[in-house]
Amino acid sequence: MKKQLKFVVNGNPYDIWIEPRLLLVQVLRDELGLKGTHRACDEGCCCVCTVNIDGKAVKSCSVLAMQANGKEVTTIEGMKNGAELHPIQQAFVDNWAFQCGFCTSGQIMASNALLKENPTPTREEVQHAMDGHLCRCTGYNMINEAIRDAAGRLQAQKAQEKTK
Amino acid sequence: MADTNYRCPCCRKISPDPHDLARHYLGQTDTKHKEWLKTKGHSYAQLITWQVTEFGNKGYDALAEVLEKEAPRVEA
Amino acid sequence: MSEYSIIGKPTKNVDGPAKVSGEAVYTFDMTLPNMLYGKLLRSPYPHARIISIDTSEAEKLQGVKAVITGKDTPGGRYGLWRRFPELCDQTTLAMDKVRFIGDAVAAVAAVSTEIAEQALDFINVEYELLPAVFEPLEAIKDDAPLIHDDCSNNINITRHVEWGDVDEGFKNSDYVREDRFIYGNQATASTEVHNSLASYEKSTGRLTVWSSTQSPYYLQLGLSDALKMREGDIRVIKPHVGGGFGGKNSTMPDSLNAAVLSMKTGRPVKIVYNREEEFTCTERRTAMNMAVKLGLKKDGTIMAREVKLITDGGAYTALGPTALYLTGTYASLPYKIPNYRYDGLRAYTNKMWATSVRSFGATEAGFAFEAQMDRAAHDLGIDPIEIRRKNAMTPGYEAPGQYSVGSCGLSECIDKVEKRVKEKWTGLAEDEGVGYACFDYQCGGIFNWIDTPYAFSGAMVKVNIDGTVDLFTQASDIGQGTNTVSVMICAEELGVGIEDIRLHPADTATTPVDLGAWASRETMMNGNAIKEAAAEVKKILIRVARLKLAENIVYDFEAKNKRIYLAIRPERGFSYYDIVKDAIKENDGQALIGIGHYTPHRKGMVTPAWAFGCMASRVKVDREIGHVKVKEIIVAHDCGQPINPLGVRGQVEGSIHLGMGWGLCEEQPNDNGMILNPSFADYKVVRTRDMPQIELHEVLTYDPEGPFGAKESAEGAVAPTPASIANAIYQATGAEINSNTLKPEKVLNAIREAEKKKPAKR
Repeated sequence: MKKQLKFVVNGNPYDIWIEPRLLLVQVLRDELGLKGTHRACDEGCCCVCTVNIDGKAVKSCSVLAMQANGKEVTTIEGMKNGAELHPIQQAFVDNWAFQCGFCTSGQIMASNALLKENPTPTREEVQHAMDGHLCRCTGYNMINEAIRDAAGRLQAQKAQEKTK
Repeated sequence: MADTNYRCPCCRKISPDPHDLARHYLGQTDTKHKEWLKTKGHSYAQLITWQVTEFGNKGYDALAEVLEKEAPRVEA
Repeated sequence: MSEYSIIGKPTKNVDGPAKVSGEAVYTFDMTLPNMLYGKLLRSPYPHARIISIDTSEAEKLQGVKAVITGKDTPGGRYGLWRRFPELCDQTTLAMDKVRFIGDAVAAVAAVSTEIAEQALDFINVEYELLPAVFEPLEAIKDDAPLIHDDCSNNINITRHVEWGDVDEGFKNSDYVREDRFIYGNQATASTEVHNSLASYEKSTGRLTVWSSTQSPYYLQLGLSDALKMREGDIRVIKPHVGGGFGGKNSTMPDSLNAAVLSMKTGRPVKIVYNREEEFTCTERRTAMNMAVKLGLKKDGTIMAREVKLITDGGAYTALGPTALYLTGTYASLPYKIPNYRYDGLRAYTNKMWATSVRSFGATEAGFAFEAQMDRAAHDLGIDPIEIRRKNAMTPGYEAPGQYSVGSCGLSECIDKVEKRVKEKWTGLAEDEGVGYACFDYQCGGIFNWIDTPYAFSGAMVKVNIDGTVDLFTQASDIGQGTNTVSVMICAEELGVGIEDIRLHPADTATTPVDLGAWASRETMMNGNAIKEAAAEVKKILIRVARLKLAENIVYDFEAKNKRIYLAIRPERGFSYYDIVKDAIKENDGQALIGIGHYTPHRKGMVTPAWAFGCMASRVKVDREIGHVKVKEIIVAHDCGQPINPLGVRGQVEGSIHLGMGWGLCEEQPNDNGMILNPSFADYKVVRTRDMPQIELHEVLTYDPEGPFGAKESAEGAVAPTPASIANAIYQATGAEINSNTLKPEKVLNAIREAEKKKPAKR
């Protein structure tokens, strides 16, 4: 029997009826057509499917969609500001912090949550926060640099906004 | 230059050197080549195992001895 | 060489904005209207004859649209080593027997993945169990069960390489050592699982397949052979791919069965593996047993080397023979060996098959060679750097009848690493060691085992009236940055900006053949084809400019920054726009198209060029628990001329990551054909906290064979990583480890063995 799911995804409110057994990643990808969140292991071992729920990094394969009821979900599709890349996205591009790109959405969403909690992380702090993320391409160091570069950009942006 | 060459007992390969012929021979995995070895009291599996597990050319050397005696000769 | 506008400058990934915003489309993300979902039924047994398959109950399930078994497929045999038909040993589904746990025996198409999965349980297969064999030496015995009925002794392929007089070489050596090494399997474990979407058009008899593949052309050939269709009736499109690492070269049951199911149902069908299938039913790195003998003079000069190798091929051929061949080549590099012998054999076994995985052959050969060099250096009282320097490959070397070496910056790389280690790593802590390893890697392969009549890479460039460019290349970007390199090379040659080029990649219907992404071939081969195509158009544009300026024939023109101009008087020239328009007009209005191709010639049997390098790893060993921490890596690398330094760094660091995995933790233990850890929970990989800082230096050598002098950078740094780590452990503790992985219990046991022989600190 279907249940009502009311939540906000990337700023858009949704009111849909779904089978309660569905995972959040399934609803995002298959019901809402948001394919930017990828799936790689379906066991909570790789963090590729990471999204934000109320600003926190969450593995969308490890929560039921119904657990997002009443909450605000942000996926990779919600990061751009119109046509402009978010500073984290731009930092990833500028630092060659992806190769095949399949894990990148999850990396960026996790970074988004991390930098809200810790705006100026050290290399080790980034390593610790991102340790669950599987990447087979990059060797991780360039991702780490991109995240810290993004931290700097966000701090600069914040400082600029303060002076306005 | 050798006066005679050796011909492979099972195909048209010709070589002046029984060792070189042995090398050719152990590269062939068809039934005909393997059966001929059996008639001479050798096993393909044993020869190739020697060749790929022991230092030296033990498999080729053993087969070269046989070919020197048994392989038909053709004029150079 | 003149200053480049684009080559050698750090350049952002042309796919970057799409990849960071979730807009890049992978096969995994694709759907088509009316699409069905497919699933494969797999054998639970390693070796069995199929007596009967009853699909009637599965067909009755609501939502199931088709169920097929081997008899419903065209039954064509396919494989990658097409030059030898007997090695084309795979079919779409198992026909009469299954040969490994996971071999596909039936396929279902249904309206949802869940229903397709349920339907599998309703397919009844009656098997007659056959004795199975899992060890190569057992498999080649006369009384071993035959895995392929037409292949006696289960010997897939052998190889012998010999030059000089090895036995004489050993006789003349002052020091000879023999060692045996054992290597286990490694998974590719790409983040995007194998998946394909097939759409068959009954009205035209044409098939389109989108697939997560490393080679659209190879997939097209595999489909053609297996389905007995004309190549031209099959279109393969490669969307973005979430990693390959060698595991997506082969044509797989997902694409073949999606195609047959689409033919049967008249609807598009998509098959997506789950992660367990990805670990157990795809391809693995080749496991090997290697015996190596090395002879040196007492001053450390190598006199002779001998290598005996058995590889565990698994149930099918795939690209496994290439691993056998290349190990024989890499065991003779990167040091000069005047007398060399190699014997290798690949045996079939009843396991998931083994194939080409990143740096195949080089990693395994390198681990053994570098270990022997360190141990020989120790016994002879020679510095580990000195012994490498003394024997290092040099430019212009010829391995008789095998390969030649063009440019080679290995000595410079060794010097660089030595200098940096002395400067940076002063004062090692307790139980810390520094290990060295040199490396080399090829730029694509020459031996045409796929048996193609086509040039190995082709490209087409169309320059439009406004100076924009359409670049058509089938080269496969699977993350290594080939798309960006392609655009950079084209832009540099034509003198336009990267932003002016639209890339049309990896579609067999619209692009000339390229053999795909393997053995680091794309920059060299695809790059050369693109450069030639662009040069063809540039020639036309320069001719028009010359005529317009009416300059003396001795003066040269250049194309840069969207201008064609006199090299000695840059202010005399024309904008691209004007010249392109004139060129089109003077050629009867025909589009300006350039076509390029590349196949290596007169370069021996292996590769047109070699990249080289040297690596040092600083490692701390915990003697209590055997844990190994890689603290830092310094690597000097000769890739000729980096096209994109950002991309090169990415490839080197990615290689180091995979090398660390092979060396430290990636294992697939196997019990009677069953892989015991088919999940990321149990298949241990290197994560971000394990990664050391990496200091990378590029040594420029400019190889004339490569586009703008470039050589490979995608795989070379895999091999020296586990080798230098193992050597660092050896230097710190004396522990000799002759197998991967360097897991704690093994390191601990090796340390204890070493302590028995000599004092604790060396």
